[in-house]
Amino acid sequence: MSSEKVNSIIENKDFLVHSSSLKDVRSFSREVFEKINLSQDLKDELVLAIAEAAQNIVKHAYKNEETQDKMEIRITLKDNELEIGFFDKGRPVEKDNVRHRRIDDVKPGGLGTYFIQQIMDAVVFKEGNKPWINHLVLTKKL
Amino acid sequence: MAYKVTEDGNLATIFLDGEIDMDKTEEAKELIFPHIEAGKEIHINLKDVEYMDSSGISVLIESHQKALESGTKVTLKEISKSVLKVIMMAKLEQILNLD
Repeated sequence: MSSEKVNSIIENKDFLVHSSSLKDVRSFSREVFEKINLSQDLKDELVLAIAEAAQNIVKHAYKNEETQDKMEIRITLKDNELEIGFFDKGRPVEKDNVRHRRIDDVKPGGLGTYFIQQIMDAVVFKEGNKPWINHLVLTKKL
Repeated sequence: MAYKVTEDGNLATIFLDGEIDMDKTEEAKELIFPHIEAGKEIHINLKDVEYMDSSGISVLIESHQKALESGTKVTLKEISKSVLKVIMMAKLEQILNLD
């Protein structure tokens, strides 16, 4: 049985900043994307992009340190544009240092940001409004 | 859940499954690397892997490179559609040994 799909959406959820939360991040994203009329391939790509961005918060903004801090993920669909916001209270992102490795320089690591950039139309780092430190915005026209 | 491993002479086959993300990579490395260091040929069976992110791909790259250094070989077997898509997104289909 197919459920009715929506044209606009605003959904958000908090997650503990920890690698064990990534599974929950994916579950949340999949649940939201089930409500939107998207191909399975695109849903899978968007879930990957979201999980990679959340992983970057754990690995880079918090350097894998134990914390009780939460990150917030907000998924918005309006006028066929999908916007995914990530809010965290970790170390401020140095935008100039956010880059993926050269793709032909094969070595472990450095692929997450590359995947995000491949999947999304735009990746923008903003300063977060209090209490947040970082606000990452991923957008894609559907 | 522990991953399954079978051994047949100098060949070790490691069956990964489920979702391989940052939270699972240490477990995968601890399983794969000792076999490579022992000089075994490795098959990593990816039939039952439903999701793999950049951390999982890094384990595959590191395994491949460690095997080359040890004079052996890692081959990825029965790669699931979702994992193949991520391998191709990373442009690794000509680098890793796919079967």
